[in-house]
Amino acid sequence: MTPMHFTFSAAFLLGLAGLAFHRTHLLSALLCLEGMMLSLFLALSLWTLEFSSINFFTSPLLLLAFSACEASAGLALLVATARTHGSDHLKNLSLLQC
Amino acid sequence: MTYMMCLFLFGLVLGLVAVASNPSPYFAALGLVVVAGMGCGVLVGYGGSFLSLVLFLIYLGGMLVVFAYSAALAAEPYPESWGSPSVVMYMGVYMVGIILVCGVLSGGWYEASWVPSDDMEEFSVFRGDTGGVALMYSLGGGMLVISAWVLLLTLFVVLELTRGMERGTVRAV
Repeated sequence: MTPMHFTFSAAFLLGLAGLAFHRTHLLSALLCLEGMMLSLFLALSLWTLEFSSINFFTSPLLLLAFSACEASAGLALLVATARTHGSDHLKNLSLLQC
Repeated sequence: MTYMMCLFLFGLVLGLVAVASNPSPYFAALGLVVVAGMGCGVLVGYGGSFLSLVLFLIYLGGMLVVFAYSAALAAEPYPESWGSPSVVMYMGVYMVGIILVCGVLSGGWYEASWVPSDDMEEFSVFRGDTGGVALMYSLGGGMLVISAWVLLLTLFVVLELTRGMERGTVRAV
């Protein structure tokens, strides 16, 4: 595996691990999601640059646009959580009543 | 040039280790800024200077600024930086995992050069990445309209999510 390929694959898997093994804050999980999006942007741009296929340069930009949509939806959920539950701690997002 | 590329690639992986080890969100956002900066360096090294500019402006200057001031919602009296024991444990596990995977998958490590070497064959002011992005406005106009529509829709989604009172989401039981 070439170093470039290894780097963005490792970056994606690290972001996924950080999202899966979240600890206290919802915001740190959202930041790991943003890290995954960044590694996907890098992967698409480097693929297009390596193969000199000019047509596919629109795909990283469209990925960035849709990832902005996803980030804003995640942040809106964070704001809603902070308003109703007081903080964004993931322990508070439980419906258990015992 | 290979040294710079090596620095950027290492910085990318180490920065994302610092983000994924889940410190307090202030420090995770800082780590993500470093990762985006390194990613911009990698893109410039491969000749995609316009895409690197787009990444800096839109990602760092747009999205991460919003994340940085949303970190005020995650305020805590004793924020955990990368020196606290549990974060160091996570970082150690991720570093060991990366080194092990790199050792297993180091088959084609030296197959390609770290830096492309045939970009300056002809003298041309037509940069590949700028020309490719311009396609989004000509042949890819439909996708542009769709993404603008999706962005407008996201605005309304955010409005409804944070409405509060009885109509909002995440109502406290």
